[in-house]
Amino acid sequence: MISNDSMIKVEHITKRFGKKVAVDDVSLNLNRGEIVCLIGPSGSGKSTVLRCIDHLEKPEEGQVYIEGQLLDQKDKNYSMLRRKMGFVFQHFNLFPNMTVMGNLTVAQIQVLHRDEAEAREIALKYLRIVDLEEKQDEFPNKLSGGQKQRVAIARSLCMNPEIMLFDEPTSALDPEMVIEVLEVMRNLAREGMTMMVVTHEMGFAKTVANRVIFLEDGKIIEENDARSFFENPQTDRAKLFLSKVMY
Amino acid sequence: MFSAFDQIFTVANMQYLLRGALISLGIAAVSLLIGLIFGIIGASCKISKHAFLRAIGNFYVEVIRGTPMLLQIMIIFNVIPIIVTSFTGQAFRMNYYVIGIVAMSINSGAYTTELIRSGINGVDKGQWEACETLGLTHWQTMRLVVLPQAFKRIVPPVVSEFITLIKDSSLISTIGAIELMNSAKVLGATYYEYMSPYCLAAVFYLAMTLTISMFAKKLEGKLAESD
Ligand SMILES: Nc1ncnc2c1ncn2[C@@H]1O[C@H](COP(=O)(O)OP(=O)(O)OP(=O)(O)O)[C@@H](O)[C@H]1O
Ligand SMILES: [Mg+2]
Repeated sequence: MISNDSMIKVEHITKRFGKKVAVDDVSLNLNRGEIVCLIGPSGSGKSTVLRCIDHLEKPEEGQVYIEGQLLDQKDKNYSMLRRKMGFVFQHFNLFPNMTVMGNLTVAQIQVLHRDEAEAREIALKYLRIVDLEEKQDEFPNKLSGGQKQRVAIARSLCMNPEIMLFDEPTSALDPEMVIEVLEVMRNLAREGMTMMVVTHEMGFAKTVANRVIFLEDGKIIEENDARSFFENPQTDRAKLFLSKVMY
Repeated sequence: MFSAFDQIFTVANMQYLLRGALISLGIAAVSLLIGLIFGIIGASCKISKHAFLRAIGNFYVEVIRGTPMLLQIMIIFNVIPIIVTSFTGQAFRMNYYVIGIVAMSINSGAYTTELIRSGINGVDKGQWEACETLGLTHWQTMRLVVLPQAFKRIVPPVVSEFITLIKDSSLISTIGAIELMNSAKVLGATYYEYMSPYCLAAVFYLAMTLTISMFAKKLEGKLAESD
């Protein structure tokens, strides 16, 4: 299912916060249908890489290309390109002032100019996919963490993204809720969605990812297909990291 | 101390104080509303991208919050007639109540600027980011996501501001407006006994402020429900 057309191409991006170099000359590529997990110790720059791809942080150096087109704030297709990406946050970031349905329809109506009936229909379709149809009229504060994250995923999907970016989508969840969210992501992967996932869930990375990118100190230390990476890591740092997180 | 209490505590005098109380309440309410408009403008300046607007917003807030309200009232009391006269060429005497409202609105606007600004800034920045990734514009985010959440944080302190204004409206008695404070003074002067009217005025002030703060507690509970 993975084809050769590049969905995301990152070339030599660097991002600093004050003196701290959070991302240090990172380049990577993601093809259509590919699922890549970004892993690495805390503070290694995983989130920042992902946020730079979506331009939630603007890289100071280097370029990001989406489907071969340069992501450039000054360009008129900038927001159109950004909309090809859905972003799922560690802390969900649902809108507490709206119901689940409101969360799922607001951007469809405002940004894609769908009429309300159509937006609701699409919202329902994705709520069914994340198995939360019955929660459409609830406010987010009435949902469990796992349910919130599934709503957040559905909210992104309503915008018909071609790429989904996940920043530790299960890290804020109680263990028993991790599975339900990972299951949704697994299904998305099966449907052929192009995905980049920052995660500490090694089991997920091992079984779902095509490729793993291991980061440390803002640099890519090792990059390999998932199986090789977990069975036969090449660098000492990756070995050390895996020995700490796999038991 | 309360030597003339029996003569003062009459229906007519209570009506007189009540009228003063209603004027205080009205002035505070109108000043709060106009102040809220100033506050919205001030907060928009303070969170603006433009350094110049931010500077104006800061200047307004710092000057007003850093000087006594009584002084502000006195300055407005003296300055407005001069300005109007310089335009019209005619001597001008403005209504005391209007001067009071102008001064209190400007004053209250500085405080509500800060309330609104911190209410908006208090909304989690993840909300902005989520909107950004969904493609919502800055203004759509503000209107549909941030302001409705900020509103809840702003309402309780705005109610406290209202209570403050009711009390501070007593300051405009100094320029001659006959609100509650001045009504009490007038009664005191009439009967050569001030303690009774002052204590009665206190009862009227408390009746207003306690009622509002009780109402505010209920409202706060309601607003907190969906968090
Ligand atoms: N907004 C910011 N301001 C200042 N420093 C930041 C900011 N965001 C990240 N950093 C710093 O940049 C480095 C990389 O952070 P990043 O969040 O990308 O790491 P991470 O790999 O996602 O870590 P974690 O697993 O803890 O989420 C860290 O040292 C962090 O302290
Ligand atoms: Mg992170």
